[in-house]
Amino acid sequence: MTDPILSVRDLAIAYRTGRRESVTAVSGVDLDLYEGQSLALVGESGCGKTTLGLGLLRLLPGLGEITSGSLTYRLKDGTRADLLAMKKEQLRRFRWNEAAMVFQGAMNAFNPVIRIGDHFADTLRDHADNGKKWTRAAVEARAGELLETVRLDPDRVLQAYPHELSGGMKQRALIALAIALDPQVLVLDEPTTALDLLTQRSIVQQLHELRKKFGFTMVFITHDLGLAAELADRVATMYAGRIIETGSARDIFYAPKHPYTAGLINAVMPVKGDRPALESIPGYPPSLKAMPDGCAFNPRCAFATDECRQDRVPLELLTDRPLAMHHSVACLHHDQVGLPRSGGAAGATPAEKENANV
Amino acid sequence: MTAPSVPPQRTGAAVGTPPPAARSVLRRAWSSYAFRRIRQSVFVIWLVATITFLLMHLMPGDPIEIMAGRLNSAGMSHEQAMATASNIIAYDADASVWVQYLEFLKGLVTFDLGNSLTNPSKTVFEHVMEYLPWTLFAVGAGVVLATVVGLAVGMAMAYRRGSAFDHAMTSVGSFLTGVPNYILIAAVIVVGYTMLGVLPFLDMRGRITAGVEPGFDFVFFGDALFHAILPIIAFAFTATGSFMLNMKAATTEVLTEDYVTVAQARGLKPGRISRNYVGRNAMLPIVPQIALQIGTLVGGSIVIEQILQYPGAGQMLMQAISNRDYPVVQAAVIILATSVVIASLIVDLFLVRIDPRIKSEGQEA
Repeated sequence: MTDPILSVRDLAIAYRTGRRESVTAVSGVDLDLYEGQSLALVGESGCGKTTLGLGLLRLLPGLGEITSGSLTYRLKDGTRADLLAMKKEQLRRFRWNEAAMVFQGAMNAFNPVIRIGDHFADTLRDHADNGKKWTRAAVEARAGELLETVRLDPDRVLQAYPHELSGGMKQRALIALAIALDPQVLVLDEPTTALDLLTQRSIVQQLHELRKKFGFTMVFITHDLGLAAELADRVATMYAGRIIETGSARDIFYAPKHPYTAGLINAVMPVKGDRPALESIPGYPPSLKAMPDGCAFNPRCAFATDECRQDRVPLELLTDRPLAMHHSVACLHHDQVGLPRSGGAAGATPAEKENANV
Repeated sequence: MTAPSVPPQRTGAAVGTPPPAARSVLRRAWSSYAFRRIRQSVFVIWLVATITFLLMHLMPGDPIEIMAGRLNSAGMSHEQAMATASNIIAYDADASVWVQYLEFLKGLVTFDLGNSLTNPSKTVFEHVMEYLPWTLFAVGAGVVLATVVGLAVGMAMAYRRGSAFDHAMTSVGSFLTGVPNYILIAAVIVVGYTMLGVLPFLDMRGRITAGVEPGFDFVFFGDALFHAILPIIAFAFTATGSFMLNMKAATTEVLTEDYVTVAQARGLKPGRISRNYVGRNAMLPIVPQIALQIGTLVGGSIVIEQILQYPGAGQMLMQAISNRDYPVVQAAVIILATSVVIASLIVDLFLVRIDPRIKSEGQEA
């Protein structure tokens, strides 16, 4: 746990919107991911989670680009590589071999005109080491093994075309494909969205098993806090393109320190216990083109003061644990924030807090 | 190419007893996509033949009398002319329309639709087949050329959207699609032959140069190609323009598909992605257009072959019409229609091979 597998510093990603205009979708992201950790990136739609996830593999669509920052990986051979400095061919070899990605909506992740088995063959062949020949039989053996780890019947699936599989089967097949080259990092973008609940459960179950078996470092992009709680040991909350709080799953779910994180958790119905009225966060996320000054959350925040409206609030380290397990928050009033449900005195709003103090 | 999951036939299950194996195989063959398409094609050919038959009968004047009139004016006595004329025509002109129609259908399946009026020693099928292969060769080569160039340029345009290349090729494509091919090829001749004098147009007319013997050798094929090159280019013009523009649109759309992003994430080689992931999917909507183009071009061969003095089916049809050689016109129309139907059948069967989804759609329906 000395050297992080993935290290992101001050990353900014922008989308070009015109000849000389662009909007910044992600900015100032610092992230360290150590071997075997799994990180959940949570936040509302449009907060930049997917953009950040794609950025981690330099897979941004046409108009998106990484405008500043650094992005380094520790490769399988132990050396550190700067992803942003890689040439095309280097980058191609890096992708899927070092870091793979399971995409949102596996529905369209497979080429509709070739068989599932061909997808494995293409991937294995294009990443073959010098001289290694992937014969049909070798591909089938390897792909069969992978499909079995996600509980799919290789005989049926390898010969099938994508349209002959159900959504859940495609998602599993994509996970099997993602681990084909034994990558160190697996980025999963909404891996269970658009699947029914039972399928979601079994996918989550399998991700658990795979993690135990192969020890991947994982990044989950999700708006499903339940999934984050279940699979992640670290959670990062994103708001308006920035990470505003990061900590262990325990920190985030039991003692969130950012009013936005607390609001997200409050907006979820607990499965057990009495059911308090769900609280949604008032207002909407800001437009990327018109970011408020200071803390981006201030217009929606019950704790906001004039100070919050002036300068960008940096992440502040709250703990003195090892760096791999720190809890940091970007809020000037973090000491006032707590979950109303979890305990009596930690009121949700400043007004309640004052009453309690009296 | 066996379908991995053929849904079980429901016909037997509905009755309660599973059908015998042999019958089920026959049934499956009958309802298979290929067979359905073949049945459709046969139906279309029958329809064209029937309409042709009706048109010939709706035309004013009795073909025998017209022909006899011509023989008569050529110096034959009236009785002899009538007898010769009714001999040439394959059916009994005095019988009822229904009997004639049945005779006509019988002639159709036995390739006997009477003899040419202008060249009575030959059956019309022989006569037409003497010209048709040349047209099919020129149209076929033109379409292949247009497909190769159109798809390649269209894909390159999509990959370089917004570049100078894209803008230039968009203009070229619109120009080729918009201006009729006979005007374009006439312009080529005017510029290449009349103005610059580099194009040996006079030598290029006809099928082969006098003295070259037909045979399976290089000299013959080379010479045939030399004479066919202008028709091939003319046929390719229009098709190239529309394939280019359509392929650009299709590729642009495919490039935004998830599976292309995923293929990039998988670190596949760029060549493989553009060939097997982008190209193969982008050409799916273009393939049916190939069949349509073949139809249009075969129809357009009448004008092109006239301009270029290329003795193919189009020119033959033109002559047959001006000579009022009804049996030849009738046979030529049927055969041209049949070859277009067969071409589109081949294209469709090819489409099934490259798009596995079509087959299962058919089975669900």
